[in-house]
Amino acid sequence: MSTRPVIQLDGDASSPPDVLGHKGHGIDMMRRNGLPVPPAFCITTEVGVRYRAEPEATINAIWDDVLAGMRTLEATTSRTFGRGPHPLLVSVRSGAAVSMPGMMDTLLDLGFSDDVEKALAAEGSVEFARDSRRRFTETYQRIVTRPAPDDPYQQLRAAIESVFTSWDSPRAVAYRAHHGLDDGDGTAVVVQAMVFGNINANSGAGVVFSRNPMTGANDEFGEWLPGGQGDDVVSGTVDVEPIAALRSQQPGVYDQLISAARSLERLSSDVQEVEFTIQDATLWLLQTRAAKRSAQAAVRLALQLLDEGLIDEAETLRRIAPTHVEALLQPSLQPETRMAAQLLATGLPAGPGVASGRAYTEVDAAIDAADRGEDVILVRNHTSPDDIRGMLVARGIVTETGGATSHAAVVSRELGRAAVVGCGGGVAESLAGKVVTVDGNQGEVREGSLQLSAWSEDNTPELRELADIARRVSPLRAHARGDYPRLDRHTEAEVRSAMASGHSDVVSASPLLAMLAAIRLSGVS
Amino acid sequence: MSELGVLQAVRLKGRVSRGDLAATLGEDRFDVIDRLVSSGLLLDGPTLRLSPEGRRRLEGLLADERSHVDTAAVLAAYGEFRSVNAEFKALVTDWQLKDGQPNTHEDAGYDAAVLARLDDVHRRVTPTIAAVATQLPRLSRYSVKLQTALDNIHAGQTMWLARPLIDSYHTVWFELHEELILATGRTRETDDA
Repeated sequence: MSTRPVIQLDGDASSPPDVLGHKGHGIDMMRRNGLPVPPAFCITTEVGVRYRAEPEATINAIWDDVLAGMRTLEATTSRTFGRGPHPLLVSVRSGAAVSMPGMMDTLLDLGFSDDVEKALAAEGSVEFARDSRRRFTETYQRIVTRPAPDDPYQQLRAAIESVFTSWDSPRAVAYRAHHGLDDGDGTAVVVQAMVFGNINANSGAGVVFSRNPMTGANDEFGEWLPGGQGDDVVSGTVDVEPIAALRSQQPGVYDQLISAARSLERLSSDVQEVEFTIQDATLWLLQTRAAKRSAQAAVRLALQLLDEGLIDEAETLRRIAPTHVEALLQPSLQPETRMAAQLLATGLPAGPGVASGRAYTEVDAAIDAADRGEDVILVRNHTSPDDIRGMLVARGIVTETGGATSHAAVVSRELGRAAVVGCGGGVAESLAGKVVTVDGNQGEVREGSLQLSAWSEDNTPELRELADIARRVSPLRAHARGDYPRLDRHTEAEVRSAMASGHSDVVSASPLLAMLAAIRLSGVS
Repeated sequence: MSELGVLQAVRLKGRVSRGDLAATLGEDRFDVIDRLVSSGLLLDGPTLRLSPEGRRRLEGLLADERSHVDTAAVLAAYGEFRSVNAEFKALVTDWQLKDGQPNTHEDAGYDAAVLARLDDVHRRVTPTIAAVATQLPRLSRYSVKLQTALDNIHAGQTMWLARPLIDSYHTVWFELHEELILATGRTRETDDA
């Protein structure tokens, strides 16, 4: 062991993310910068690696350190784990060196017994105590796959072991394989004092992005769930409100939140996605990470950060993957177009593609409309074989019921039609007669006939600006025209061979892509 | 009986050409079709479809057919069908999508593994159809049509797995599902989609 197995995340942890885990490192960084974060400690990734080889011996060896960590949480919060009158509950979360959102397990509200529930009822309310305990017992049963024991320390131990084990869950293994991450590591575990978004009307949970991760606009963006806990927001099973709702409900807390998100963005030099909880009008930040973003946003945000002096030109280009640029050059529904159109229905994306037309709910009417030359969207409760003719004339298909294997989903994919299925009862009636756009990639139906468009290296200002930067940074300058040798394609092999031949300038149909390849090849930093 | 067979086939297909109708019935019943057209039960054109009177006539014939069956036996067969239905739908989806993306059919091993599951599904559904055909002999035709689709798939014509408008395995399967839902007196709204 090169470090202590259990490290307090009090702003003084002074260990890198590959020891503390990504989440633990973020918490420590926020504490160091004076942001409001509930006290926490982490069990390091080194323990996570050892646990995979020798579970029993490893957990025994570190248990006294875990107990010491709990004593510190108790002292900091002035609460006691497992008993009243002011009981401490904790969350137990995974935290690998590289963030793997949603891939591993999280347990909230841990530390319940009958006495603890009574004490919490006296402190908050009977409903709050009961709701929290229900959340705990359901999640524990699901993740640990047995009923929760009455002893909070047994709960804690089993939860920590489950999180360590979840590193090898099939979905986590598949995620690492897909993203080319190392399987041989392990996860850290973060144990953090709970704060409660479900305690009263001035409470809730949400996630805020320091800038819009879809359009790349320089506006805060996010979701807010009054009276909820963090897992409700992530689960997608509850209807959340836009973050603007928090601004009208608790303007002071909102300003504090946005200011925290902006300062995290400056500290990390990247756009952040911050999970937060508000407990009785007090703001708490739970974790922060670089925001997942669309290709459009990747380009716009990198250019904004460059303008504001947060990153340099080389870093700007590193933030943009060639796949981002390639995606932007294909026709697609641009995020700003999509976000500006009213959302009429959401369901499962069942057939990829985007299609617009007038919604018809009867096959005969759909066929007649198509015969008149109209673009048709077929909306049905569900489809069956006698709907085929209607599906054939339709450009997009929407159903109220059914999942990814339903008739509508299977046949839409077979016909190459954009499809969204399982949108819920009443959708056929509410869409009938409207001109709508079916987004079979996002699983949405939006109002109006939305046009697809593509960016181009010649005409899109953002890509021209990037190309100008690339010509200053890249060892190979690529131009759209000029008296230089011609690069037929922008593949790595062609770019490498041009550089090996000593060319410093070439003409290319995709200058930006050629230079991004050259920068990657030469490892410019 | 042949009138019921023709009307039900037209209902299941929605709109169908005379040629496709003959193919799904396994015989040319132009005599019956012409009679149904002249009596106004079928609407003629490039494709045939049911008139409102035809739909009412079909519902009467189906109700009459249902009144002679042992409902418990049909329900038992339907239960067995549902147990294999989920697996069939999952394998069709796995055929179309690989890792959430459209299957490019470049991975022969993957495709072969999915199609092997179809053989198992076929083994399981065949006795179920035989059982329900003791009550509704008309439905034994579905076994023949599934076998034809399976033979075509085995011969390398994989469009016979899920392609609409032809009697692919998925098309026949789904029509059989509709028949079983009808025969048990249910509707799809009360069932799964």
